[in-house]
Amino acid sequence: MAARKRALATTDATKPEPTTNAQDQPATTTDPPIAPPKSGLILKLCLIFSLPYFYLIFYQYKIESELKRSILINAGVSLAGFFLTQKIIPVASRYVLRRNLFGFDINKKGTPQGTVKVPESLGIVVGIVFLVLAILFQYFNFTADSIWLVEYNAALSSICFMILLGFVDDVLDVPWRVKLLLPSIAALPLLMAYAGHTTIIIPKPLIPYVGLKVWDLGWMYKLYMGLLAVFCTNSINIHAGLNGLEVGQTVVIAFAILIHNLMQIGASADPEYKQAHAFSIYLVQPLLATSLALFSYNWYPSSVFVGDTYTYFAGMTMAVVGILGHFSETLLIFFAPQVLNFLLSVPQLFGFVKCPRHRLPRFDPQTGLLTGTNDGTLVNFFLRLFGKMSEKSLCAKLLIVQ
Amino acid sequence: MAARKRASATSEATKPEPTTNALGQTDPPIAPPKSGLILKLSLFFSLPYFYLIFYRYKIESDLKRSILINAGLSLFGFFVTQKMIPVASTYVLRRNLFGFDINKKGTPQGTVKVPESLGIVVAIVFLVLAILFQYFNFTADSNWLVEYNAALASICLMTLLGFVDDVLDVPWRVKLVLPSIAALPLLMAYAGHTTIIIPKPLVPNFGIEVLDLGWIYKLYMGLLAVFCTNSINIHAGLNGLEVGQTVVIAFAILIHNLMQIGASADPDYKQAHAFSIYLVQPLLATSLALFSYNWYPSTVFVGDTYTYFAGMTMAVVGILGHFSETLLIFFAPQVLNFLLSVPQLFGFIKCPRHRLPRFDPETGLLTGTNDGTLVNFFLRLFGKMSEKSLCAKLLIFQAIGCCLCFVLRYFLAGWYK
Repeated sequence: MAARKRALATTDATKPEPTTNAQDQPATTTDPPIAPPKSGLILKLCLIFSLPYFYLIFYQYKIESELKRSILINAGVSLAGFFLTQKIIPVASRYVLRRNLFGFDINKKGTPQGTVKVPESLGIVVGIVFLVLAILFQYFNFTADSIWLVEYNAALSSICFMILLGFVDDVLDVPWRVKLLLPSIAALPLLMAYAGHTTIIIPKPLIPYVGLKVWDLGWMYKLYMGLLAVFCTNSINIHAGLNGLEVGQTVVIAFAILIHNLMQIGASADPEYKQAHAFSIYLVQPLLATSLALFSYNWYPSSVFVGDTYTYFAGMTMAVVGILGHFSETLLIFFAPQVLNFLLSVPQLFGFVKCPRHRLPRFDPQTGLLTGTNDGTLVNFFLRLFGKMSEKSLCAKLLIVQ
Repeated sequence: MAARKRASATSEATKPEPTTNALGQTDPPIAPPKSGLILKLSLFFSLPYFYLIFYRYKIESDLKRSILINAGLSLFGFFVTQKMIPVASTYVLRRNLFGFDINKKGTPQGTVKVPESLGIVVAIVFLVLAILFQYFNFTADSNWLVEYNAALASICLMTLLGFVDDVLDVPWRVKLVLPSIAALPLLMAYAGHTTIIIPKPLVPNFGIEVLDLGWIYKLYMGLLAVFCTNSINIHAGLNGLEVGQTVVIAFAILIHNLMQIGASADPDYKQAHAFSIYLVQPLLATSLALFSYNWYPSTVFVGDTYTYFAGMTMAVVGILGHFSETLLIFFAPQVLNFLLSVPQLFGFIKCPRHRLPRFDPETGLLTGTNDGTLVNFFLRLFGKMSEKSLCAKLLIFQAIGCCLCFVLRYFLAGWYK
């Protein structure tokens, strides 16, 4: 549950002041309401990312030239998407503020920054640019066959439907019981189109106990897929509340997925296996690029908030690539901090322990530091373990743990 | 441009009052649906529908079964949509997505906050029905699945963009481009032929019977999507007009599909028209549910979400069913409205924010202005009338146009194709 958004937006539905200067200034240009992006940080991150990336593609592995070309074209398209997203976010912010989709930064309450109206739901920009990139990429994938196209279009339908439901949630604020169901509904195109095997490989040490090497789960595998979608989306949603945490965790996991895909392609000789991991790369690269653009605005101090639109979109995209790339167990291991956060949250989510509206740490405006409360979240657990710290350093440490 | 919405919503963003009363119960903020009207329309629709499916044509049992399963699913969708619209209305009002009915300004009804963008309910139920239907279509092959999923992706993306437009109020130049973006999945997946058949009388002039347009055909498809969505959007402004025209055209498409399936022996051809049926039936059913609330007097407004969703769905079935010329003939009133609007849309004549007729609170009648819309043209031609009767006449006009199309096809069959 995206904790710190819209602290007062519903009760205080007045028109935002700094967007219209009709009465004060006759000038027709509107001042940019949000700060410029933190491009220096993004540049540093990109350099760190590109080293293993290019090493694996060009040096470590011999990848077929057609596949390599497709991957690099996709990377180029994603790069264009990065700049497009960066350009559109400030534009969208004005429209979003004008329609009162904003929140106050609860972790800055008591300081001047705590009174700034931060535009919400900028995940919609990331989602739409991602979809356009993913749709256009089909034109460049020369190795596509019918089955690939069905899975790809089903993936796009699922992600698109999730963005739609996420944005509807951000705008209409649906009850949390409905929120839990939304990802299952959005995952339906994927479940319908999934034509792959529904078997799991029993770990070798367990074969004597189970009696089989390979176990066909049938419809239970599809149920697992649906639940994976619900888990990925909601787990990112509840591991939130600090500037840059939601996008940051997505960027880290997406990069890990990308490296995993490249390594699997390089180390394998089975063309279908490589195809599955390539499929994942074609969706993860645009996710990574557009998320980095959002990160440049959302990192501490946040000039925009991402909204449930973003967390649902990102979670669904990663569930989709994990399912269609056939590496969902690896994906779940990448999601270990999210799993831990979920387990810590279970008592409060299921009502055994009282669950407040926001389970955020306590902010002290005097020192600017956060103190952990007794709420069951990884954020608070970290603070209780390591003591008070600033929001920026706490978020950075959590991303390093990830 | 959906004319009458949000007349004052942006300047008066106050919380709506009637949602909770002293007892803590929530009063339903919208009136009950006009179910009697829908029942009458459904009876009227089902006569030709069942006649064609069961009596007139021998349709293979597999195909017939798929069509009827789809019809059953759509019927279910009708009731789900009807149930959800009031629920969604409370949420929508709470977030200040409402408008005032400009055509009732000066009367007490003109002060009621009407919830907006209820097209989102129709679209989401439609998408769920369409996604689930894949499970029941036993005759599906790979190609079919690709086209179907691409169609769903296009319709879903259009709904998303339409809802973003309703919430954020994007500039009209961006609005025009949105359907082209949403049509991309369709254009990418379209694996059909890009040829057109030259009408027989023109063959001597062209020298060929079939012309392969290649990428120009894809451009045409993209433009068709832009046209269908925006033309419904501008032929609007009266209670029930947007949904009503969609219901009429969707029913005409359905009858056309059934007739083409019955009269043809080519399995690919039948498959294409069946594809269209599988999307048009849910569209018709969910739209009827919205119509039961949106017909005069409107208790909900549909928003650009609905007009974009409906326009895109009809463009998609026309393209993938390979009957886009017939679709354009069904859209004749929309074409006429577009032509009448051209001088104002392109700036030759001054274009006001709303191009609605003038409402007189005393008499309750609408008078036509000099704006270039079919609504105003009708009023200038036939004199003042009430909003309800004007809308009904325009919908009958739409229906007559569709019937004429069938008559035309009957007489021209064999002559031009």
